[in-house]
Amino acid sequence: MTVEEREQRWTEAMRAERRGEAVAYERMLKEVATVLRRSLAPRLVRVGLGAHEAEDLVQEILIGLHRKRNSWDPARPFLPWLHAITRYKLIDFMRQRRRDTRRSVDLPVEDWLEIVEGPVYEANWSTWEVDRHLAVLPVSQRKIVRAIAVEGASIRNVARGLATSEGAVRVTLHRAIRRLLGAADPTPKIELLPRNAHDEHR
Amino acid sequence: MMSTDDLIRSLATAAGTRRSVSLQTAFAVTGAASLACALLLVFSVIGIRQDFAEMAVRMPFAFKVVYTGALVVGASVLALYAATPGASATALYALSPAVILLVCGVIFDPTGLPIMGRTNTAVAFCVGHILFLSLPAMVLTFVFMRKGAPTQSLFAGAVIGILSASLGAMAYTLACKNDGMAFVATWYTAACAIMAFIGAVVGHRVLRW
Repeated sequence: MTVEEREQRWTEAMRAERRGEAVAYERMLKEVATVLRRSLAPRLVRVGLGAHEAEDLVQEILIGLHRKRNSWDPARPFLPWLHAITRYKLIDFMRQRRRDTRRSVDLPVEDWLEIVEGPVYEANWSTWEVDRHLAVLPVSQRKIVRAIAVEGASIRNVARGLATSEGAVRVTLHRAIRRLLGAADPTPKIELLPRNAHDEHR
Repeated sequence: MMSTDDLIRSLATAAGTRRSVSLQTAFAVTGAASLACALLLVFSVIGIRQDFAEMAVRMPFAFKVVYTGALVVGASVLALYAATPGASATALYALSPAVILLVCGVIFDPTGLPIMGRTNTAVAFCVGHILFLSLPAMVLTFVFMRKGAPTQSLFAGAVIGILSASLGAMAYTLACKNDGMAFVATWYTAACAIMAFIGAVVGHRVLRW
């Protein structure tokens, strides 16, 4: 059916509707539904909606056409009128679907705050793990490592706090790091052990 | 959800039940009723100018009537265009006579009267009265527009605003004491703009179908 034929056929059917001819009107609505389905389904698939959505939209358009059929002037062409209604309903349909999508994936601020607060547990957990690792160190070394590596204090401040020199703090820190490396590695390097032993006997 | 064939069958049974009053007829009735309401309000609430008979034959009054008339005609064409799906957009040119009159009124004002009116409160007074007079027209034209099928609700609402404000302004010409053409062109148009804004906001909510 060419556009001109379709225009003529549907215009005639719309005029018949005003005379109360239900059969002609019903046939026209069926033809319109077929054409709409064919043109709208691929369009909706392209934006990620399924075929049943196309059917919903076709029904929306048919209802709109029917309810607003008085706004069509029999002296005017029918297809531009139908096109404007189809376009309006399509845009309205997409807007509604988008609103539905937004509602279904929405992140309420309460939920979001819980997510943000989540890492507090992780921080506690990692402190606990650090404690477990630091347990291999003697008390004096542990104090310095904790102050510098975990709490982030400067060497100078730590030295002042423990009433020793910065050099002493540095040396203790190095020893502690070596010991930690040794504890982390199940097969400790040979050279480290004698030196540690030597240090302890000094 | 019912099947499409069932839906079509049930729609088809309603064929021919809606008596076809054309949109144009419905609009003519709406427009006449709106203007009648505005005139009634002028006579009952505001009262016409004391020197009306003497003023009515002068140029400033003629300009007011012609300008508001051009607005009414232009906005009417636009309203019918907005209510009809797929209508030709050349209807937008219908406002051009009013725009030309507006520009001429502001630039070549032969009366030389101040643009802010005769008194300090003239602007607020005139604009406020026009807004008041356009309210019944706005309600009636919204009812009309809901009978039509506006496919751009913001635009249709704005057109309703312009139309009702120009109807209100047309009625207000009987009472307005400011004869400056620049005053009329500027502040009557401002009232139209305010109503257009209100109409667009309301239309966006009310005119969906």
